[in-house]
Amino acid sequence: MANKVFSKDAWLEALGGLKEHYRVFLPLKDGDFFTYKPIEEAKKIHFDYDNTRLSPKGLIFPQSERMFEFSLDTQDPEANILKEAPKDDSPRAIVGVRPCDAHAVGLVRRNFDNPEYRDPWWVKHVEAATYVGLGCNAPCATCFCKSVGGGPFNEEGLDAMMVDLGDRFLVRALTEKGEEFLSRVQGGEAADEEVLKEARELAQKVTDEMPDTVPTGRLKDLPVMALFEAPFWEEVAFACLNCGTCTYLCPTCWCFDIQDEVYKTEGIRLRNWDSCMFPLFTLHGSGHNPRDQKFQRVRQRFMHKLKYYVDKYGDGVQCSGCGRCVQFCPVNIDIRRVCGLMDAYEPGA
Amino acid sequence: MIQYTDKIREIAGRLLKDGTVEVFIGYRKGTVPMMNEPVLIRDPDQVDTLHWDVNCGLNLCNYLTRRTEKIGILATGCNSRNIVTHIIENQIKREQLYIVGIPCTGMVDHRAVKRAVGGKEILSAEQQGEKLIVKGADFEKTFEIKEILQSNCAVCRHRNPVEVDEMVADPVPEQEGVEPYKDVESVEGMEPRKKWEFFTRLISRCLRCYACRNACPLCYCPTCFVDESRPQWVGKSNDPTDTMTFHFLRAYHCAGRCTDCGACERVCPVGISMRQFTKKLNKDAEELFSWEAGLTLEQRPPLDVYRPDDYNDFIK
Amino acid sequence: MKNLLEHIGIEPGRLHFSWISSAEATKFVDVANQVYEAVKEVGPAQVFIKRLAEVA
Repeated sequence: MANKVFSKDAWLEALGGLKEHYRVFLPLKDGDFFTYKPIEEAKKIHFDYDNTRLSPKGLIFPQSERMFEFSLDTQDPEANILKEAPKDDSPRAIVGVRPCDAHAVGLVRRNFDNPEYRDPWWVKHVEAATYVGLGCNAPCATCFCKSVGGGPFNEEGLDAMMVDLGDRFLVRALTEKGEEFLSRVQGGEAADEEVLKEARELAQKVTDEMPDTVPTGRLKDLPVMALFEAPFWEEVAFACLNCGTCTYLCPTCWCFDIQDEVYKTEGIRLRNWDSCMFPLFTLHGSGHNPRDQKFQRVRQRFMHKLKYYVDKYGDGVQCSGCGRCVQFCPVNIDIRRVCGLMDAYEPGA
Repeated sequence: MIQYTDKIREIAGRLLKDGTVEVFIGYRKGTVPMMNEPVLIRDPDQVDTLHWDVNCGLNLCNYLTRRTEKIGILATGCNSRNIVTHIIENQIKREQLYIVGIPCTGMVDHRAVKRAVGGKEILSAEQQGEKLIVKGADFEKTFEIKEILQSNCAVCRHRNPVEVDEMVADPVPEQEGVEPYKDVESVEGMEPRKKWEFFTRLISRCLRCYACRNACPLCYCPTCFVDESRPQWVGKSNDPTDTMTFHFLRAYHCAGRCTDCGACERVCPVGISMRQFTKKLNKDAEELFSWEAGLTLEQRPPLDVYRPDDYNDFIK
Repeated sequence: MKNLLEHIGIEPGRLHFSWISSAEATKFVDVANQVYEAVKEVGPAQVFIKRLAEVA
């Protein structure tokens, strides 16, 4: 696979020159935080963020997305027929993705793209995307990717990876898509062994130094009902506001709700992010709500990520350790602590 | 605030032991800087988890709704006014509460601190008296707390609790000469189109996560209007008109009830200053009805009562 | 309500309140005329109008 080294200025210029091939998205400063935006909106590009406030999941799974359009005009021979809404699935490059967010795409894939179900829009959006990662030279104190099967230089889910070497970026292709991306980037020079070695050593050093703080090893062997009935849920949930911050900021939360909206004789069917924190999430048409208590909803979020997913897919937790919910939960409910409580739980003790 | 913490633990321990209260609601120290977690304590042996500092900017009154026990609760000026409002609106009984009053000199605006260190990761933020010492991987900065207060705290006129059973310390002096509505006045001076642009921009990052609504002790309806489906009053997507409808109506439901505690702004994951909506209502309540919410148990709120001399310029 | 709507940019003159008894036919006509004139003056609403959701 190809490798190229760019001076930082050359890299920024090269990204600007990709317009004919890709819609380029990258983290741009938006007020107090960074958010993924098209490169056209960039005044100045900084690759100096910890991470974006919202994960890049919104680029492939928009908060609100038109699925179908329909007409209610009785004169229209095609009235009441759902037609797929047009989408822009031209190639897009998402540049500067942190490894946790790329790892999350793989976790979400199990839901949207599996032998039983295939979500056509999610799949097409992902297929259209080239993920160009940025290794984390300085993981945050709230990061715990290493504890959940990832790492600050984890390549899973990425098509190419940038490594910040101070005054230069090493960009390494990891997949065919990444190879194609790199071939279209103007400038840069092939990386020699010395640069590759420098990058490898940096990655190794950062990875080794990052603490592995969140225990997950016992989760899969603990009986599901014991965890479900564990005594700590009420205490964990007490402070919860049942807002959607954790779920909306999370790169691995995938739930959505489908709504129809009509204006005059035109209508659309759209899907919106939904959150298991909302009482409405499980409200039945009958009026019954199987999760009408706050602690049930909080328990659901943690049990889904840290137990049901573990049991269902047998490949770790549904969390990429990005730490967004830890940093931005308005009442400081910390998934690291909850995971610790679950993992250490002794049923019947 | 170490003194407050010790005193709070002592009071909570005593109340739980002697059976004055069954549960005590306070804060415990958070796992990340400038974040503390509301906590409910039943066991007098656990009072040592209680903590107080300048990062207790949520509104604990929020946790009273639909509780049935005898409750001990910490209350700053604004929190106590919300407790009064809760009592007036029959959401809790005064007899159920033992209010432990905290004379408050304001809470730290965690976003302002983060901004002031250039957005760098903050690894610790410890209060030492009137100062906040903030450390990161490669910096240390000391802030005067009064320079980094939440914007509602900076214009607070009721720092001392209005309804208490016991105080943790003597009252603090109230701030003199604050101009609480300067920002509202600057918007009032705009042309309608500019006002619309101002508010559209203000909420443009909204995710509809409803943290502002849920952090607000005034929002206790069993089903919020945004969650109603028959009829569906407002769309659930992130369409800008629906988002504006949510913010407008959420604010409007706080008319004559908001104590400007700032919890809505504090919890917003994208930093929206939604107090710009509620402050206009507070200003109107004050100018038109001489009313500030939650100051007394003796008077009904203006939207609750009819008086022949009520403001009625808006009606033909 | 009127003040807050006007505060966020709805033009004065668009929203009207009145209390009219069923016996006050003349008042009803007067108010209806006033509302008509005032709304005509400000013209068609440009903001706070929901059509189809503006989403991705």
